[in-house]
Amino acid sequence: MFYRIALYAALAVFGIGLIYKISGWFRHRLGIHDPSITTSTRFSAALKGLFAVLFSQKVVTLVRVFTMDVLFQARILEKDKLRWFMHMLIFASFMFLLLTHALDKIITTSLFNAYYLRLNPFLIVTGLLLLSGIAIALYRRFILKVPRLKTSAMDHYVIILLGIIMISGIATESTKLTSYNHYQNIWNIHILACLLGLAYLPFSKMFHVLTTPISLLVNAVMDKNSDPVNVMTRQVMELDACTHCGTCSNRCSVAVAFDSIRNGYILPSERMRFLKDYVTRKNIGTQGLAAIQQGIYLCTNCDRCTVACPAGINLRDLWFNVREELIQRGHPVSLMLTPFSFYRGLHQQTLDPEQYNTPIKQAQIALTEHFGVPDKTADVIPLTSANRDFKKSAGLSTLAGTYSHCFTCENCSTVCPVVGNYEHPEEQLDLLPHQIIRSVGLGLKDLAIGSRMLWYCLTCYQCQEHCPQGVKVTDIFYELKNLAVKRQDEPAGKQGMR
Amino acid sequence: MKFALFLGCNIPVRVRQYERSARAVLDKLGVAVVDNTEFKCCGNPIRNTDNKTFVLMAARNLALAEKQGLDMMVLCKCCFGSLKKAAHLMKQDSELQEEVNAVLAREGLRFKGTVEVRHFLSVLYHDIGITDLKEKIIQPFKGIKIATHNGCHALRPSEVTQFDNPVAPVLFDELVSATGAQSIDWPLKLECCGAPLLGVNDTLSMNLTEKKLADAKATGADCLCVACPYCQMQFDSVQQMTASRPKTSNPLLSIVFPQLLGLSMGIGNKALGLTRHMLDIGGIASFLE
Repeated sequence: MFYRIALYAALAVFGIGLIYKISGWFRHRLGIHDPSITTSTRFSAALKGLFAVLFSQKVVTLVRVFTMDVLFQARILEKDKLRWFMHMLIFASFMFLLLTHALDKIITTSLFNAYYLRLNPFLIVTGLLLLSGIAIALYRRFILKVPRLKTSAMDHYVIILLGIIMISGIATESTKLTSYNHYQNIWNIHILACLLGLAYLPFSKMFHVLTTPISLLVNAVMDKNSDPVNVMTRQVMELDACTHCGTCSNRCSVAVAFDSIRNGYILPSERMRFLKDYVTRKNIGTQGLAAIQQGIYLCTNCDRCTVACPAGINLRDLWFNVREELIQRGHPVSLMLTPFSFYRGLHQQTLDPEQYNTPIKQAQIALTEHFGVPDKTADVIPLTSANRDFKKSAGLSTLAGTYSHCFTCENCSTVCPVVGNYEHPEEQLDLLPHQIIRSVGLGLKDLAIGSRMLWYCLTCYQCQEHCPQGVKVTDIFYELKNLAVKRQDEPAGKQGMR
Repeated sequence: MKFALFLGCNIPVRVRQYERSARAVLDKLGVAVVDNTEFKCCGNPIRNTDNKTFVLMAARNLALAEKQGLDMMVLCKCCFGSLKKAAHLMKQDSELQEEVNAVLAREGLRFKGTVEVRHFLSVLYHDIGITDLKEKIIQPFKGIKIATHNGCHALRPSEVTQFDNPVAPVLFDELVSATGAQSIDWPLKLECCGAPLLGVNDTLSMNLTEKKLADAKATGADCLCVACPYCQMQFDSVQQMTASRPKTSNPLLSIVFPQLLGLSMGIGNKALGLTRHMLDIGGIASFLE
């Protein structure tokens, strides 16, 4: 009786969880979107898209992807044979046990008339296979220590729960004949663990048994011309398809930056974890916002995560969309004034001009807000001890120390293509290159690190190459930009190599 | 001759024709390249904001090549400049090198400073040589004027990159001439393409691009030739963006050097990725003899 109630309760939680999670795909929003789009519009758009695919040649693609990527999991095999072996052990054994054992009344007995065994060796063998899969998973996570592979609480829960189900299951089978008491106790544990797993499934990483196939199939048939409404729904769904396997972070081109900046959001797998939470709540503190902005902007858009994702998630488009949403939140992102913006610049025609320009402007204002040229006629620039402090604390390397060789011949400003682009360069750039070098020499911090010239520097090295005094102009500019960013980001306090 | 091929982030996804044509050409020339999927970003984009992270990112790639026991061949000029710079900085500053190596040690890597970073053009010029290269050219160009665009981060700072004479470079022009094409002298030849500021200050970035294009056109160029993905995207995709504005019609096309070389070596359009450009450069083949 108790177990019957427990089973129905678990099924009810599972069912409600399923409905709740799936409806979330249509309720929650990600990226820049039209606020007038409703949940029902999204639901009908999804149905329309689904039918359009089912009654087209794309069905062939679906069948191919289902066989190759869902059942055979070729995308994992391509990347890592050990991982494929591990996952296949777990996946195949789990499916076998689910169909022949958990659902035996429905499936197995109807297939085999004489199906009734006191002791079923198949169950034990399959259970052991699955356990060895879990053992490989543990080995990968805790002994092999794949660089930058993060293990979250969820990863622990899933491994522990699966472990308990399997060990208790094997123990149940093996004690059947020997000890009725033990058998009963272990059977209780086994059943309860299974029911817990079932109820918890829609809320756990194991939800991916449903969502990952959906992601693989959907991404195989969607393309650039797909309805943007469906793209948003897909992107919310993809958050549930992520298993936090870490493949993306492993392949990520800039993951190495994490070893020095220690901002977890640089790693795509950790951004996905953040987004799962963010998509439902959307409120994050300033510090959290600064960190996720840095993480998501520190990306070369190299596409490797998208190509590698075993769940077929289109991370490229997801990042582009979410990045836009996050940088529109008012907090300035200093990384916007670097070549990391190239990709966004290349795709500016897909964005609203104002939405495109505002965050760039904000970043530039934030980095140059301390700048102010003293009134040339009235002020005498005071050369106080603070000036000397700046020069000392500026951390200018020996290379950049060459600023003191400058004799203001202005060659750097003459050859600079940026200066040459303007009729009145001082109005657009605040200072010219030689003036920046002199500001460093005089220890005038706000002038040295605050002008727009620094951020409009192409780093083409014309100035440095043409300096008769060997001043490393461009290299000094790099260091000054580093300092300006440090001053700007200091409250967030995330710098330094650890 | 064998190198570890460093492609960077842009080429494999946005300028695939560069990779494809470079591989085709190198194959014909008997230069072996080894791929290393562990290579990651060279660090260039983060130099503005965080120098140490930049050096770490570059150093990891250098250390990987050292582990392979191969010198690196780099296609992108920004990657090239960045890797060169980081190696230079670490050789000058042993403290920095140790700090970086302490982080690399977690992955069992170490930068020793033995790896040589080479640009693709440099290998063609110095290791193959113009004479040997000419022998492979079976279908030279005739009557085409090419404006070579060197790419800043290979040329400068010259004491670090040691690529060519920074004020009067000849390497690229001689390579272009080897294909039978005429490399012209043009006033803005050594200027930046504008790409580093795309997305940061688009007006400035595109102004610089347009100035260069106008200058090359005025000097009589039929086509630009580059050997860097950023320059190529700037002259191809970005020019297309500005070309859709009424002011600039009649675009000046840009080709990556291994495509030009490949055509003159008799390699087919498809193997050179000639259809992968945003602006159609198919017409260039009509200049072949």
